[in-house]
Amino acid sequence: MTALTCRFISLADGLLRVAPVIVCRTGAALQRTPVIHCVRTHRTNTWWDEHLTEENSSFLKKIIADEYQQLTADKLNPLKDEPWARQEWVEGSRRVGLVAVKLGMMPVWTKSGERHVVTMLQVQDCHVVKHLSKEEYNGKTAALVVGGKNVSPFHRPEGYLEIFRNAGIPPKQKLTTFCVTDNSIIKPGTPLYAAHFRPGQYVDITGKTIGKGFQGVMKRWGFKGQPASHGQTKTHRRPGSLGPGGDPAKVFKGKKMPGRMGNVYDTVYGLKIWRVNTKYNVLYVNGSVPGHRNCIVKVRDTVLPNRFEKNKSPPFPTFFADGDEELPEDLYDEDMFQFGEPMPE
Amino acid sequence: MALSLSGVILPKLMQQRTFSVSATVAAIQKLTRVRVVDNSALGNAHHHRAPKVIHVYTKNGVGKVGDRVLLAIKGQKKKALIVGHKMPGARMTPRFDSNNVVLIEENGNPTGTRIKTPLPTHLRKMEGEYSKLLAIAQRFV
Amino acid sequence: MAACTRRASETMGLLRILRNLTHNERLLSTSVMRHAAASDGPPKFTPPAKPVIIDKTQKEASLRRFLSPEFIPPRQRTNPVKFSVERKDMIQRRKVLNIPEFYVGSILAVSMSDPHASGNLNRFVGICTQRSGKGLGATFILRNVVEGQGVEICYELYSPRMRNIEVLKLEKRLDDNLMYLRDALSEYSTFDFNMQPVRFELTGDVSVNQLKVKMKPKPWSKRWERPKFNIQGIRFDLCLTPEMMEHAQKWGEPWREYDMLKEYDTSSLEKQIFQEVEENLSK
Repeated sequence: MTALTCRFISLADGLLRVAPVIVCRTGAALQRTPVIHCVRTHRTNTWWDEHLTEENSSFLKKIIADEYQQLTADKLNPLKDEPWARQEWVEGSRRVGLVAVKLGMMPVWTKSGERHVVTMLQVQDCHVVKHLSKEEYNGKTAALVVGGKNVSPFHRPEGYLEIFRNAGIPPKQKLTTFCVTDNSIIKPGTPLYAAHFRPGQYVDITGKTIGKGFQGVMKRWGFKGQPASHGQTKTHRRPGSLGPGGDPAKVFKGKKMPGRMGNVYDTVYGLKIWRVNTKYNVLYVNGSVPGHRNCIVKVRDTVLPNRFEKNKSPPFPTFFADGDEELPEDLYDEDMFQFGEPMPE
Repeated sequence: MALSLSGVILPKLMQQRTFSVSATVAAIQKLTRVRVVDNSALGNAHHHRAPKVIHVYTKNGVGKVGDRVLLAIKGQKKKALIVGHKMPGARMTPRFDSNNVVLIEENGNPTGTRIKTPLPTHLRKMEGEYSKLLAIAQRFV
Repeated sequence: MAACTRRASETMGLLRILRNLTHNERLLSTSVMRHAAASDGPPKFTPPAKPVIIDKTQKEASLRRFLSPEFIPPRQRTNPVKFSVERKDMIQRRKVLNIPEFYVGSILAVSMSDPHASGNLNRFVGICTQRSGKGLGATFILRNVVEGQGVEICYELYSPRMRNIEVLKLEKRLDDNLMYLRDALSEYSTFDFNMQPVRFELTGDVSVNQLKVKMKPKPWSKRWERPKFNIQGIRFDLCLTPEMMEHAQKWGEPWREYDMLKEYDTSSLEKQIFQEVEENLSK
């Protein structure tokens, strides 16, 4: 159904000439006075289930969900049929990363009884979506677009869905780009698993921090504020002076001021992976990670040069679940205490 | 409180005035009143003013178990070692109901000859420095 | 998603059973071979007598249906997979370490490995004043008065340093949190380190100790008379006047109990988790 809407626009004649509206304005142009026009516009977009009966829409929802589950469950490996040459890991290669969902935190213990906290990140239906060659991307490196967490295709724009149709995978909630070296490109449609990373490796994690809303300088930038008493009038949490007065006669750019806090992308560097669960695809990453529970984060090999030693010869270009490598359900770091073990010491 | 209760007959327990000699719950910092737990004459002598921390020899000014402090005790300055505090430390370590210190000399030897209250076992990490102090301890928890 | 994972876990369980079967078969076959080689007679297989494992530490195991409170996930929007993965680890740990049934108010003896203690073992006896934390981060606090000095230790239930947890006296108190023992007279939290375990009923309800404690004079660490603590186990009549008790009611929030959004009925969840834990622990 194309919806017909009427808009009342009050415009002068001169403005009407540039206004992109379909209207018979011969009469109005002659009058040369501000008039009220009734403009007809066509709304072409509709709700996806606008013409469907309830049964049909529920059926569609169900069948699409089944299809997508099937698509992810088939460990389809496009590399198998028409392989892009798999290459060996060399020093300086940059692999693709993962898109994961933050589950929450829990403690782990080392064999010496030390306690650490870890964040659990689940890799849910993570696929390579697209390969961008050096020319297509930025002229410097090749890139891989990776998507994570299947979503419903309804309520998504057609252009967005087309990306996934080309790769033969269900639509994803999140797409991110990873810069990779030319030897570590993977064919679009390849599923990525938590076993892409191994215990003992170090990773960087990017996520959107929890939004705190509009905050003052004490919370946002850690300013000291003013004393609670000793004759203060209405000045306890204020920023104080914004800078020198007469000579620059301005506030310098980048002055820390109150404003929106959080809800921006942040990266933590060099977090150790303690454990990998291959069945549920859970990564156990040391310490805390930006973002709230159930938020989507981006995990990649660390860029810190002093951790390169620990990241040598990983599964390259990624871990393929085609049975070449049989993995146990849980991979542990060698220092980590496993709960089924008898007590150490 | 005392005014509002005057005239009311109360158990004897309530009528005695008590002074909290420790900060409520916080690690030891300047002006914390502490309890000396060894048997030294200086620590056990009665004085109208409880021993008070006037300096903590740490970088952040907060003293935990095993840190040295300077006390104002009976009008004189004396060094002491923190052997327990009210603030909970790491898990699996004891937390005490009072802020306990042991008086030490400049060289780390204890002033007293016996420590009656239990000491936390992780104080033994400082075995080399305070071996004499640990030797006079009666009990560890 | 959850249903899918559950199905996956079931199939995995089946697989594990199958693997165990084959494993046992292999063991049996080797024993038969050895038997044959020794006696040269017909390879007649006689199954060895099933060893009866008597664990002396577990002779007093309770027969009650008891689920440790840390198994119940908090009410929040966390993916249930997180808790199920964590629960597996907890069960794994419980297979190695016997964590008995105990409550706030029970008297426990806990041994933990401690590199600084003599014999690497640190034993502490005390009354459990608080249980907190969910999942693997669960903790409990033991309190005792040693040489006139009040001592509390917060133990991590699933830490590898825990060696042994022994229940010396299984009972409940009038409250679910006994933090007020800090402000009570020291006799109420003094326990002998050489205390003998008290036999307890293996079935039926756990006895509730109706003891009400006398407090030290104020100030206390918290204003226990305030309605938000809802303390039953303090003799307020000895330390506070009726006027003071009435004054404390000023902070009452009687509408809270009608807040339906705060309701969290865990009974069905508890049943489900209990079944899962039982199955996996006996495996």
